[in-house]
Amino acid sequence: MKPRASMIILFLMPAGLFYLALFLLPAAWAFYYSAFDWSGFSDEMTFVGLGNFVKLLTTDPIFWSSFGNTLKIIFVGGFFTFTLAFLLAMLLNSGIKGKKVFRALIFLPNVIATIALTTMWSFAIFSPRSGVLPNFLKLIGWTSASKFLWMSADHVFWSMLIAIVWINVGYFVVLILAGMDRIPIEFYEAAQLDGASMIQQFFRITLPLMWDVLTVSVVLWSISAIKVFEFPFAYMGAGEDPNLYTIGVYLYIMGFGKRQPIYQLGYATAIGVLMLLLIIVVSIFVRRLMQRESLQY
Amino acid sequence: MKHLYRLFAMMIVASVVLAACGTAPVATQAPSVTEPSAAPVATEPAATAAPTTEKIELVYWSMWNEKENQAMAIQEAIKAFESANPNITIKVTWNGRQNQTLLRNAIASGTKVDFMDQDADQVAGGMVAAGQGYPLNDLITPDFEDIFVPSVLHMFDVDGKTYLVPYVYNTAQFFYSKDAFDKAGVTPPQTWDELLAACDKLNAVNINPIAVESDIQGYNAVYFTYLLARLKGPGWMRQAAYDKTGEMWKDPAVLQAAQMSMDLWTKGCIPDVSKGYKWPQAQETVAAGETAMELVGSWLPTELVKATGPDFKWGSFNFPEVSGGAGKSTDLMAFMLSYMILKDAPHPKESFEFIKFMLSEENQKGMVTAGLVGVPRKGVAWPANIADSQTAAETATVVFGEGDGLQGADAELWVKVIRDPFNDMFVGKLTPEQFVEKLVADTATYWKGK
Repeated sequence: MKPRASMIILFLMPAGLFYLALFLLPAAWAFYYSAFDWSGFSDEMTFVGLGNFVKLLTTDPIFWSSFGNTLKIIFVGGFFTFTLAFLLAMLLNSGIKGKKVFRALIFLPNVIATIALTTMWSFAIFSPRSGVLPNFLKLIGWTSASKFLWMSADHVFWSMLIAIVWINVGYFVVLILAGMDRIPIEFYEAAQLDGASMIQQFFRITLPLMWDVLTVSVVLWSISAIKVFEFPFAYMGAGEDPNLYTIGVYLYIMGFGKRQPIYQLGYATAIGVLMLLLIIVVSIFVRRLMQRESLQY
Repeated sequence: MKHLYRLFAMMIVASVVLAACGTAPVATQAPSVTEPSAAPVATEPAATAAPTTEKIELVYWSMWNEKENQAMAIQEAIKAFESANPNITIKVTWNGRQNQTLLRNAIASGTKVDFMDQDADQVAGGMVAAGQGYPLNDLITPDFEDIFVPSVLHMFDVDGKTYLVPYVYNTAQFFYSKDAFDKAGVTPPQTWDELLAACDKLNAVNINPIAVESDIQGYNAVYFTYLLARLKGPGWMRQAAYDKTGEMWKDPAVLQAAQMSMDLWTKGCIPDVSKGYKWPQAQETVAAGETAMELVGSWLPTELVKATGPDFKWGSFNFPEVSGGAGKSTDLMAFMLSYMILKDAPHPKESFEFIKFMLSEENQKGMVTAGLVGVPRKGVAWPANIADSQTAAETATVVFGEGDGLQGADAELWVKVIRDPFNDMFVGKLTPEQFVEKLVADTATYWKGK
């Protein structure tokens, strides 16, 4: 072994050992437990093989509705998040005064505790009783719109998605801005001299030159959307509304029960394993889909 | 090491959903939580455990938060117990409402706990179902058994074995504003038809009749549970749920119960805006005098005391009878908070002595005064604002738990197959016919998956 290689191994070993002991081995155990019917209360475990996965995929409609909600967050939420993030990033990059202040304001929701955000959206904004939105609509005389029930079972998921998009836009604005900032201004000046419109500049210059940033952003969004847990969980408040279940929330409900004595740790672990596989598949898929020749500039 | 990795595995399961999140999930406060205030001191005399000089530390994991009224009452009782039993100390871990879940993780890592407390339905479906309970039959004497109001001590027995000892008693009834009823000239309805008639009278004086928290599935499913209990008798719903074909749900009474619950919306008992309410907005309308009543647990008057003030005149009445039904209006749904000694408790007998002490008249009075709650011990007066609930408890012909006992027997079946689809119907996402079809299909699918 070359001395350099041994040094690398030596320096990586402490972190590697921690990673092995605190993540990889327990994760392997999680795979193991997903093959058991196990409440977690005792050593009593019944081997069911792939039974938990079969049950999940064939006889559990709530898993599929949770999966559906997760997909809605990834695709519908993703579409609006990135559209708004690009619009805001371009606005901030257009030479507007106070760029840093606006960027900080847009990013602000990311540093506020989730429980505060869910309380704000569900009680202070959407509530038919105390919400700013219905009361504002009433104030301006749009009575029919003011009676729209944002928190009803039919609409509660979409109202939550609005809040999730609002929170995440700031994070992706920062990433996209970082990508935009490194594009030389001369490219835009040359394009403008050639008569290129804003849209043409966006599609011909901005998007291609920050494609790598966009790819990373989409992968990050997809992973966080698949794992999204705390916002829907807190948004449910005291209840347990399946209309708000994502895969992550359903995992928690099945493994930890919230207020119910549903303690199916083996089953919940199987959901976790499927989540992990989904993250791997989606990450590879997104990377492949967005693979482009790297542009040097 | 095995325990350690098992704990790690649990952490990994949790971390799959939690790791990417900036902050830990916030355990939602249970609707029944009460605000802390000065707690009264539990009075003596304290029971003495079996005489011994051996130093004993009892480990108690509690569902209360340390500063809650009930926790303060328990702390005073502990002091009195320790004083009467100098060789015993009690070490309490105040876990709040996630107590049982935290306890499961602790057991997995080898922690020894003597006894715990939690909602009886939850413990029955959790620790007891998992075989973690210590059977108390040999410790329960006839004298001890005699202190309880009817039916509650053995409510959650399994195969003749008693694991749970209730110490707080919540009834599920309609809680109403006496002022609102007086204004509308309404007396507590005894039958379903009287309830609908009361709605008309209340609407006539611009008071919304019934408050509904659309996002609390457990509250709303009480309608379905009670309607089936009134139509078919207590225990029938549980039988139907255990019919592996799902065919029992095709009984016409099921559709009738579903339709009757929807009548509350169509006949003006529940305002449509309730579909957009999120707990505790609907119950706050009762406190504000905008709504007359709510079907909920007897914790409601206490929970709303800050909003109502102490002079609000509360009454409660049992879920009305249904004409021609097999159930009685005195058949009562109840939510108990109970103690359970763990199977591997190092000191089960001493733990039971403490539990008995908590059920003493003095400490039950202390719990009533501190928590403003009902208690299962006979002869202890409940707080004045839930005095009607005490009458209901003392005259109950049958007492059953949430979901006709299903929550404690099979929570997954109750929640996923019955409770949540009912709520979807109740808030307008399904028709009663679709709900019944779903019940039949999902029950069969559920048992197939088992």
